[in-house]
Amino acid sequence: MRTLEYVRVGEPAQAVAELAADPAAAFLAGGTTQLDLMKIGTVTARRLVDITRLPLRDVTFDGGDLRVGALVTMERLAREPVVAQRLPVLRDALLAGASVQLRNAATIGGNLLQRTRCPYFRDVATACNKRDPGAGCAALEGVHRNHAILGTSPHCIATHPSDLAVALVALDAVVRLLGPDGPRTVPLTGFYLPPDDTPRLETVLRHGDLVTGVDIPLPAQGTRSGYLKVRDRASYDFALASAAVVADPGRTRVALGGVATVPWRARRAEAVLREAPEAFVAAAGAELADAEPRRDNGYKVELARRTLIRALSTWAAP
Amino acid sequence: MTRTLAPLVGAALDRVDGARKVAGAAPYPNDVRYPDLAYAALVRATISAGRVSGIETEGAEGAPGVLTVITHLTAPRLSRGPATSIGPQPTPPLQGDRVDYDGQYLAVVVAGTREQAVAAADLVEVRYEVDEPVLRTEDPRAEREENPWHFDTTRGDPAGALRTAEVRVDSTYTTPHLTNNPLGPFTTVARWDGDDLTVHDSTQHTANTRSALAGVFGIPEERVRVLAPFVGGGFGAGLRSWPHVTVAAMAARVVGRPVALELTRPEMFTGTGGRPSTVQRIRLGSTVDGRLVAIDHHAEYPAAMDDAVRYRVTPRGAGAYACPNFAARDVQVRLNVPPTGHMRAPGTAEGLFALECALDELAFRLDIDPVDLRLRNVAEVDPENGRPWTTTGLRECYRVGAERFGWYGRSPAPCSMRDGHRMVGYGMAGVTFGWTMMPCRAAATLHPDGTATIATSATDIGTGTYTILTQLAADLLDLPPDWVRVELGDTRLPKAPAAGGSGLTAAVTNAVQDACRNLLEIVRNGHPRGTDVRAEGASAPPEREDVAPSGAFAAVFAEVRVDPDLGELRVVRLVTAVDGGRIMNPKLAASQIIGGTVGGLGMALMERTTPDPGSGRIMNANLGDYLVPVHADVPDVDVLFVGGPDPLTPMGVKGVGEVGVVGVAPAVANAVHHATGRRLRALPLTVENLL
Repeated sequence: MRTLEYVRVGEPAQAVAELAADPAAAFLAGGTTQLDLMKIGTVTARRLVDITRLPLRDVTFDGGDLRVGALVTMERLAREPVVAQRLPVLRDALLAGASVQLRNAATIGGNLLQRTRCPYFRDVATACNKRDPGAGCAALEGVHRNHAILGTSPHCIATHPSDLAVALVALDAVVRLLGPDGPRTVPLTGFYLPPDDTPRLETVLRHGDLVTGVDIPLPAQGTRSGYLKVRDRASYDFALASAAVVADPGRTRVALGGVATVPWRARRAEAVLREAPEAFVAAAGAELADAEPRRDNGYKVELARRTLIRALSTWAAP
Repeated sequence: MTRTLAPLVGAALDRVDGARKVAGAAPYPNDVRYPDLAYAALVRATISAGRVSGIETEGAEGAPGVLTVITHLTAPRLSRGPATSIGPQPTPPLQGDRVDYDGQYLAVVVAGTREQAVAAADLVEVRYEVDEPVLRTEDPRAEREENPWHFDTTRGDPAGALRTAEVRVDSTYTTPHLTNNPLGPFTTVARWDGDDLTVHDSTQHTANTRSALAGVFGIPEERVRVLAPFVGGGFGAGLRSWPHVTVAAMAARVVGRPVALELTRPEMFTGTGGRPSTVQRIRLGSTVDGRLVAIDHHAEYPAAMDDAVRYRVTPRGAGAYACPNFAARDVQVRLNVPPTGHMRAPGTAEGLFALECALDELAFRLDIDPVDLRLRNVAEVDPENGRPWTTTGLRECYRVGAERFGWYGRSPAPCSMRDGHRMVGYGMAGVTFGWTMMPCRAAATLHPDGTATIATSATDIGTGTYTILTQLAADLLDLPPDWVRVELGDTRLPKAPAAGGSGLTAAVTNAVQDACRNLLEIVRNGHPRGTDVRAEGASAPPEREDVAPSGAFAAVFAEVRVDPDLGELRVVRLVTAVDGGRIMNPKLAASQIIGGTVGGLGMALMERTTPDPGSGRIMNANLGDYLVPVHADVPDVDVLFVGGPDPLTPMGVKGVGEVGVVGVAPAVANAVHHATGRRLRALPLTVENLL
């Protein structure tokens, strides 16, 4: 029997200390991905530190930033009036993810740390550099219809699965952390690490770091924003391609999902739009210019391009 | 004596077992518990071809709670049970070191709890000598069996007629490997008492599980009892006695305790069959006014190396179109894939996808309305033997379905209808479904308190057999429905055929009708008061030389929306008109058609079992990655029944278990062509094909 220790903590500092003391420990929040991955052997934590009693469930608005506790559930955040009124891109992205049942359990912090749906990552009988560094990447020549075309490396082409994170990188959200050395903040655009030659490292988090919340700067009044997601079935499915657009007056921010190894801030598209605010086709073309498709995911280049153009036409057109 | 079939037969009675199911009181196989029950977990191959060169079981044997670990080195020698109407029994498990597919059982661990068994199974270490697997039908190393089950047919001169036809269609269609995925993971609980074996099993055919196990263990059938009063769905996966059933019984014998083996979802993908992938070339020849002169249909599909089921993709009688020249050829190709099996409308769903799409291609080429083309070619007699059908509701299906759908309101040219930026398409397909009936027995008992019991070994896999037999017996015995009790799913009860092939309802209702008639005969002749009165009855397929028994007919109409930029396809409306003979219960029958339609939608839009191209290992063996439709994918499904009782049997039932599935994928694909001008010949119809 695989035995497992379970502890419940009441204070964030206690949670950090529990983890810092044990390299084989992991936090447990909603558990909607983590417990599945433990059952199939992909994640092998021996000690779970339950953080669901921590006081990280508040959503507050101080006039500038929306401050979201890490344990706020996806469904709860989507139902916040300020989110519906001022952050349609966030609301759309939340409601495009998972199912109501999962959204009622899954937390914002957990969603940011969601693991890829790459089937080789999840199947311990196959080769995966992310799960087992140096083992190789079976997806390169294997089943990869829904793998990434941006931010890939010869060692990993796994797609980042989150919808929420795509909206949040477009919104310039900031992650609040508490680590063994105290609290700090990291902009979400700098939070995720592309695979390069260390696919196992997915974020800048160090062991023991606890995500305590996300701060979302509210766009100016009148900003239009939205999230467009294309998928194989109408609901409860990961994106084949998605686009988040935040069209502040004078500036359009863009991110792509479903096509990249990390939630993909589309800087090149934004640069084109800064010069020519309605050059949607050129912006999308520029963002996808260096896409690296493989045998069965070449369609994503065109799909992502069109998804971005549609999203820009919908929310960024004058 | 004549009892009328009214008021209950034909009424929309609620499921009689519904409350028990909702309350969790209906015992499914995985609910069965014995005081000393042990639990089994499987160790499966992680290669597709080769042999086991070493298997280390010491770690597992020493793990907490473990009773035994059985491998091919230690397993009792087993035989293969007798073949049935659907083909040979599966290869007995754990009988050698050869590995023929990824997922093949290599060992079973039995322990005091399920968790202990699962944990210990992880500790079994297997070493392999790996061979290069044969994974594609075009691989020159693959063994091809032409006409494997002797269904190939040639009538007239199809080659000559194709050569001289005024108009021709020649297209190749492909369909993917699909997995049945009933909601209830298959479970077997086996218990030996000396040489008597009792098995609780997720089966659609208790009699088959019994004869299979009796054959495997070399014991008389009478010593095997199979129980399946409730089964969590099957969709054809439960028609065979798969290797895990044998493993459970073997494990119970070895440890001398009852053993439960519940398959995991990933194990369902390799252990209970599925719909094989197909490649089909279809050639049609026609006159310019749309009279078919030739149909040539060639289908190739995989079968496992050492286990194949009786299968047919090319539809019988060229799909029942009045065509003087036709040829149908099936080729089975042996690959290192998990055993294929039967998935709702096996073969027919794949074959009719190709045929009904090719007919749409022909209609477009001829500039003839697709419904009119089919009406011009309706087979008034069975094309295989020239006999008149017992009933022919097909024209009525087209008429009623088209009218309800508003078919003739469409603008015929492709790409000519829009809803905002989305393209709109209408498509349709016709279905002539095969007729099946197998011998069946049933018993009717009248109790002194005035209530009655109907009993037969048939299973109700969620289709409503409990309910329709209650309705039927209540009418025949003139009792209120809650005075009738129906007992099913037990081989000690009179022998019934499979809940499969759309054939159970015809078989079992005629047998119950016969039993009730015999019972009333006894009652009328007088019988001692205060005792049970029991009578048996039987039904058998009528042997008629003068008519062709007709199965169900249907016409399916679909409306789709396609986003021309993003390639997103949504089905927004479906109408199915069905001639199913006598409809015992319109609510349950419509549910069957709706359920079949959703299965057809999955086949059309998203379902696909995906192997790793190099290793053959299935990479989406879970319900997160193997997509089936969710509510948001399913539009309103409008079901209409036409026709009436079929005169072939006293009950006039044809069976509607599968007819709802088969027309959906071609109707949707044809609607996509109408919407976009794109002819998609490969399922599923996913985004990358529509950009």
